[in-house]
Amino acid sequence: MKNKPYKRKPGDFEIRILNSGKVVMIMPDETLMEIAQIIEPDNCALPPKMEIKEDVGSQTSQTK
Amino acid sequence: MNDMDYQAHSQAFERIKTAREALTDCNFCPRQCGIDRTAGEKGYCGLDDTVRCFLEMLYYGEESELVPSHQIHFTGCNLRCEFCVVAEWNEEPLVAEEMDFDDMAKRIAHRHSKGAKTLNFLGGEPAVNLHGVLELISRVDSEIRVVWNSNMYYNDIVDKLMAGLVDVYLADFKCGNNNCAEFLLGANNYIEVVKRNILKAAKHADVIIRHVVIPGHSECCLKPIFEWLTTEIPEVKLSLRGNYVPPIPVTSAPAEYLEPDDMQSAVDLAKNMGLKLVK
Repeated sequence: MKNKPYKRKPGDFEIRILNSGKVVMIMPDETLMEIAQIIEPDNCALPPKMEIKEDVGSQTSQTK
Repeated sequence: MNDMDYQAHSQAFERIKTAREALTDCNFCPRQCGIDRTAGEKGYCGLDDTVRCFLEMLYYGEESELVPSHQIHFTGCNLRCEFCVVAEWNEEPLVAEEMDFDDMAKRIAHRHSKGAKTLNFLGGEPAVNLHGVLELISRVDSEIRVVWNSNMYYNDIVDKLMAGLVDVYLADFKCGNNNCAEFLLGANNYIEVVKRNILKAAKHADVIIRHVVIPGHSECCLKPIFEWLTTEIPEVKLSLRGNYVPPIPVTSAPAEYLEPDDMQSAVDLAKNMGLKLVK
């Protein structure tokens, strides 16, 4: 096992599974957004139907 | 689009020329690198005069009045936020493919025809790609609503060349004081620059202030931002975001995720101060 955590490089996708079970997708593209919608259709933070909730089971982030 | 906007759009070609000339002594942002990007020199943002896009997509996660939004993500940024989720593209901005403006204009038209409500320029940071943004605007239908999705850390030339071409300034207001801005974003004089540009933007078009709630930065950042908004532009729309993602590895930024209670406290405070929250 490497000592240093992996640092994202251009072109990488990152998905984190937190201890709480929450799934965080970082900068998902359209394909990953569709996958998020399939995995958690009721709890996806940013679904195509635009149901933005403040406390959700999964999260997609474009925090810049 | 009003008369001023039509006039601005018709001036796009002139503005491209001005922006390209400015690349020879680049001072688009307060870094004031003064380098000649047309000669291949690279300043703080790491960009030469080429324009590169690492992602274009239809996105539903922007503020509800903007979606579905066609995002054009440019590489390169003039801030170094450790928690940035696209930091890798800002550290190596020339890795992405160079943009074909005509091809991208076709994609924009296609997305618009399929229902995209807005054309959203972001990055990275659009300001350091000013000439690229203008190239695209000159090629697309002037009826398309343009969103300038920016950190607002730029010099006056950017404000002048974009005035009248933007329908909505989606202004990221990250830190409420210069110490945090220097520590978290690597930016000097951040507060003065961003406040100035937000006030200018508010004279040109609609503004949505976006603030990502940063864990542990309520007193030093969130509250001062709210107080300033209440005093200076109380009618502005405020979008609070609770999707802070701690970087890995972490050095300067908070290492924890935002707690739901902290997000709720931020929302409550904004409401109590009479700010106009949007989702």
